[in-house]
Amino acid sequence: MKLSGIKREQRKFRWLLLSPGLLIIVIFTSVPALTTLSYAFFKWEGFVRGSWAGFENFERLFSFPFRDQFLMALRHNTLVFIAIMVLQTSLGLLIAYALFNLKRGQRFFRTVTFLPVIFSLVIVGYMWQIMLDPYYGPINLIFGDLGQPTWARAWLGDTATALPTLVFINLWRWVGFPAIIFLAGLNAISTDYIEAARIDGASEGKIFRKILFPLLAPSMTIITILTFIGAFEWFDLPYILGGSNGSPAGSTDTLALMFYRLSFGSGDSGANEVGVGSALGVIIFTIVGVGAAVGSKLLRRREVEM
Amino acid sequence: MKISQRRARGLVVAAIAASVIAGPVIASMPAKAATELTFWSWRTEDKAFYEEQMDIFKEKTGISVKFTPYLNTEYNAILSTALTAGSGPDVMQVRPYGGMSNLSDAGNFMALTTSDVPALRRMSPGTLAGVQGYTNKKQFGLPYATSVIGVMYNPDLLRQAGIRALPSTWDSFLRVLAQIKSKGIIPLGNATGNAPSLEQLHAGIGPTFYGGTQFFNDLVKGTRTFTDKNYVASLQAVKDLVPFMPPTPAGINYDTARGLFANEKAAFYIGGNYEISYFRSLNPSLNIGWMPAPAAAPGAKRYATTWADGGFGINAKTKAKPEAIRLLNFLASKDFNQAAADQLGWIPTAPFIKITDPAVAKMSKSLASQGTPFLNVVGFRFGTPTSSSILWPGFQKLTAGTITPAALAKDVQEAVASWYAPQKGKS
Repeated sequence: MKLSGIKREQRKFRWLLLSPGLLIIVIFTSVPALTTLSYAFFKWEGFVRGSWAGFENFERLFSFPFRDQFLMALRHNTLVFIAIMVLQTSLGLLIAYALFNLKRGQRFFRTVTFLPVIFSLVIVGYMWQIMLDPYYGPINLIFGDLGQPTWARAWLGDTATALPTLVFINLWRWVGFPAIIFLAGLNAISTDYIEAARIDGASEGKIFRKILFPLLAPSMTIITILTFIGAFEWFDLPYILGGSNGSPAGSTDTLALMFYRLSFGSGDSGANEVGVGSALGVIIFTIVGVGAAVGSKLLRRREVEM
Repeated sequence: MKISQRRARGLVVAAIAASVIAGPVIASMPAKAATELTFWSWRTEDKAFYEEQMDIFKEKTGISVKFTPYLNTEYNAILSTALTAGSGPDVMQVRPYGGMSNLSDAGNFMALTTSDVPALRRMSPGTLAGVQGYTNKKQFGLPYATSVIGVMYNPDLLRQAGIRALPSTWDSFLRVLAQIKSKGIIPLGNATGNAPSLEQLHAGIGPTFYGGTQFFNDLVKGTRTFTDKNYVASLQAVKDLVPFMPPTPAGINYDTARGLFANEKAAFYIGGNYEISYFRSLNPSLNIGWMPAPAAAPGAKRYATTWADGGFGINAKTKAKPEAIRLLNFLASKDFNQAAADQLGWIPTAPFIKITDPAVAKMSKSLASQGTPFLNVVGFRFGTPTSSSILWPGFQKLTAGTITPAALAKDVQEAVASWYAPQKGKS
């Protein structure tokens, strides 16, 4: 097919307009991603690249002592994904449904719900660190006032409670996000369906289960995929509260923390492993890429046309 | 205003061209005059001190210096990236031992000679070894200070708890800690929330159990291993201290732990001379006493753990070599080191420095007879996985009771044996 002169001009102009953005993506995303891929196949002395290593870095990642750290971090990422999906997403849905049915003050409560999302994560992290301080933190003091001093513990310092505590803080900060997405989804559903169901005598529960929830499938797809990517790249909150070693005793370690620790070393220990770190980067990229692609394909299938 | 498509296209092309041309032009503009040196460091907290000293240096030599400190945890990555890319500062603070020896081996630092920096002549081989390359033993830095770990105590709190004599053996130390606890005072400020400070706690008390320098030398030679029963006992000793730490020690971070000692809530703190400036910043009138770690048995040798804190190096690619050497000689001078000892609590490598802080003075004096190398830092950070990278999470598991001392020792041995030739194949 031959393009007319104007069309050809337009096409050229389109590429010209796209070029600054494309250039930025290529320089800051594609090139580093491909470079990391290549780094995984070389030997490294600190930050100095050595000879070709083949799959040696991958082999090292799956042998002592990295294997145990990798499996533990992967387990934590998976648990966090499940916990966020079960707790944060369902609570977000519940809040969205409550806001949807609110006759007055919807805008106010919507803002309140979303507010923590716009807070700086570093401030949120330090605020909760103070709140949960085993000595001076108000949380433990409240347990004391309630006559339950035995409930008080070092929430962020105990290997049994550190990860669940991080999930809770994440929930506090992020729950407004799925809530807003679900609320937008609910608002997009035609009220005709709801009214027709009401006339047919359907209960509120039935309307939610049979009409609203199935029609929210596109929002659920977005939330699930974003949660998956977020959970498997989880870095900021664990880093702020547990440092690059996933303190205490690696109980808050994640794949991204391990990647950071291996690639850049932890503090002054001089123990960086750029090659093994890059191998891990490739694996994280594969997990997230494949998981997100397969997940979105499967989830899209259950979406229905409105 | 309407802009024609042709004109708009022209503008876009011009904007892109301008940015493409301007970038390299700006980057290639000389950033500094010939006599301005750049000086990088990881000591963000010492910025004011260094800037003041650089003003003095400028007065003496006419050479101005731009001092830029980077975050401690990011410094290695920033410096390595800059040096590998062929840029980087003229002069820089360098990590000791394995921290930057690989950068030196790759030829990033200028080899220092005694004719360039005469102060090197007055330093002991042990001190010089702290900033030498691993493979070629090139002197890539001027060692500036020594760190010492030992047992700090609060004499007032000990008196309050009825302690009349300082404990000199491990058993008497544990008895004293128990007595202090019975009086409602926190016996030991150290906690388990921060992994690197647990490694330092072990560095302080461990030599008592594994036998200090002799064991270090045997490990280096490969005639003994980390699974040695004495080394396992040294790990157990860390666990034995947990009951004397503040309640819920796992929830207490480094600064809170140090704060307990600084604010006179805890009677002892096992740590380094570098903690003292932090203690004094919280409580300037704090009374601090110091002793080496208690002996294993009455009359046995007592140890103070020591290592080179770091050095100052010169970029091999500097365009201002004579000026950089002058700066290094200034950093080796008596005046600079006296100021650092007074203001930063250093135990300088330079001789004839008067240490005014009584606790730091005691630490410094102990070195000759009781000094023993910090096992992990001095010996086993030249390859990966380092012993420290296993011990950091390992100590937290040990103190939480999820790993035994013997299992942790086995992990350390396996990690070190994977890269350190004299230990290869040994378990």
